[in-house]
Amino acid sequence: MHKTKLQTIYLSLLVAFICVLLPWSGTALKVRPDFVLLVIIFWILRAPNKCNIGTAWFIGLWVDLATGGVFGQYALAYTVTTFVAVVYQRRLVLFSNTQQLVYVLLLLIISQLTLLTVKIFSGNDVLGWSYFLPSITGVILWQAAVALGLNTSRPSRSK
Amino acid sequence: MAGYHQNLDQQQAPAFFARGPSPLARLAFFSALSLALMATDSRLQYLGSVREHLMVVLQPLQLIANAPSVLYESTSEYFSTHHRLLNENQFLRKQALIQAISLQKMKALTLENTNLRELLAANQSLEEFSQLGEILHVGRDPFTKKIIVNRGSNQQVVDGAAVVDAKGVIGQVTRTYPASSEVTLITDKSLTIPIQIERNGLRAIAFGHGRDNTLDLPFLPANVDIKRGDKLITSGIDGVYPKGLAVATVTDIQTSADSPFARIVCVPSGGIENHKQVLIVSISQPDSPANTSAVNHQTGNADTAAQTTAPTKPNAAQLPVSKVPVNKTPVASAPATQDINQNKKPANPTPAVVTEPSTANKPHAQD
Repeated sequence: MHKTKLQTIYLSLLVAFICVLLPWSGTALKVRPDFVLLVIIFWILRAPNKCNIGTAWFIGLWVDLATGGVFGQYALAYTVTTFVAVVYQRRLVLFSNTQQLVYVLLLLIISQLTLLTVKIFSGNDVLGWSYFLPSITGVILWQAAVALGLNTSRPSRSK
Repeated sequence: MAGYHQNLDQQQAPAFFARGPSPLARLAFFSALSLALMATDSRLQYLGSVREHLMVVLQPLQLIANAPSVLYESTSEYFSTHHRLLNENQFLRKQALIQAISLQKMKALTLENTNLRELLAANQSLEEFSQLGEILHVGRDPFTKKIIVNRGSNQQVVDGAAVVDAKGVIGQVTRTYPASSEVTLITDKSLTIPIQIERNGLRAIAFGHGRDNTLDLPFLPANVDIKRGDKLITSGIDGVYPKGLAVATVTDIQTSADSPFARIVCVPSGGIENHKQVLIVSISQPDSPANTSAVNHQTGNADTAAQTTAPTKPNAAQLPVSKVPVNKTPVASAPATQDINQNKKPANPTPAVVTEPSTANKPHAQD
């Protein structure tokens, strides 16, 4: 098994969180990928013994705090998403790059759907299809990261 | 051999995949926790102080995140040309001069107004207290229209304070943290603002539209006296917003045969999404001597109390005597349709009449 330090995980989550805190506005806010969730998915797939549903829930609370919405909605969305990620984690080793990309897209959409459900219950009205743009940009970001050398499925080749 | 197989069957997964509790158990546990948190946060108000404390922890991270944009701004400012600065300086000087003159006039007018109010034995209008805030960032939730400003409860910003810019009202403080506060913009779906048409004094409530940057004036009859281009100003009845600030301009009115109400769309006059600096205006606390009479007065009228979003603020006294409706019978079925003539002499300046319009507005009380 490859070794991933716990510090690396938390540091990367912190960096992703700061990315969320950046002063986004206008169109950038609408297409902003969910950095934190992407990092969580990455670590869930790569080091499931270090980063699990609990980690996702905890960081979700902080995202809730930063967003200023009702406490617990991001936490719930991340919990549900990471559950799906964990369940299919072992299968992922056999996935090709494209399959993995589709899988990540699916996870991001699951997260957004959970959020949407919670928000509709709390009285927001439905936004248009542009609501799902962050999932697309998220996948693009994932692909960029893979192109830069990060990988989840072949841990033996990495350090 | 048989025993070996039995052994293998009992195991669900090989030992090197063991990860403590099963994912399903974790999902159930953390989902339940999140749902409980959501319920507590939205229905009960216990988590307000927790949020405030955690925001203090978040503050340094926020500073780090803001650093690049702050650095960019300061460097671009540093490298701005001499010529541009001179121009700007000249412009600002001119503006300051113009404003100083109008301020002088206003001082005289305020004095005159106070005297007149004394003569009429009316309540003094509330004093306002304002401070400049800078927008730290826009809200991170594309669902809501919110901004975060760099003034918080440490700077005496209170929940419910109005936020304005040079051109008009832009929102209201909805949450205060120690060093920052969250402002909900008037275009947010959850925010309502009591307004008055500048031309004829008609009172109504404007609702944020939510999706595009517009305001709605719902529940007004199809034959209402509103025209395209009418300016909406704050009525000041709620005691939250100071009176007479520009809010929006009517851009579109649609009436259809199948609806008894007109569909009125307004565009906010303040630069809702443009500016960096905003003014946070709070009406002074009720413990100041000038407002004690207002508080006493308010206790006799439960309807006005229901309208305020901030519980500590007096409101009835805000309504000036000159805005007393000529037609004194409240119209119950169609709220806020009374025509008010600003120029006419008040029929009766007693407080009982002054508070009357509030009953007409009651159905629109802020949620």
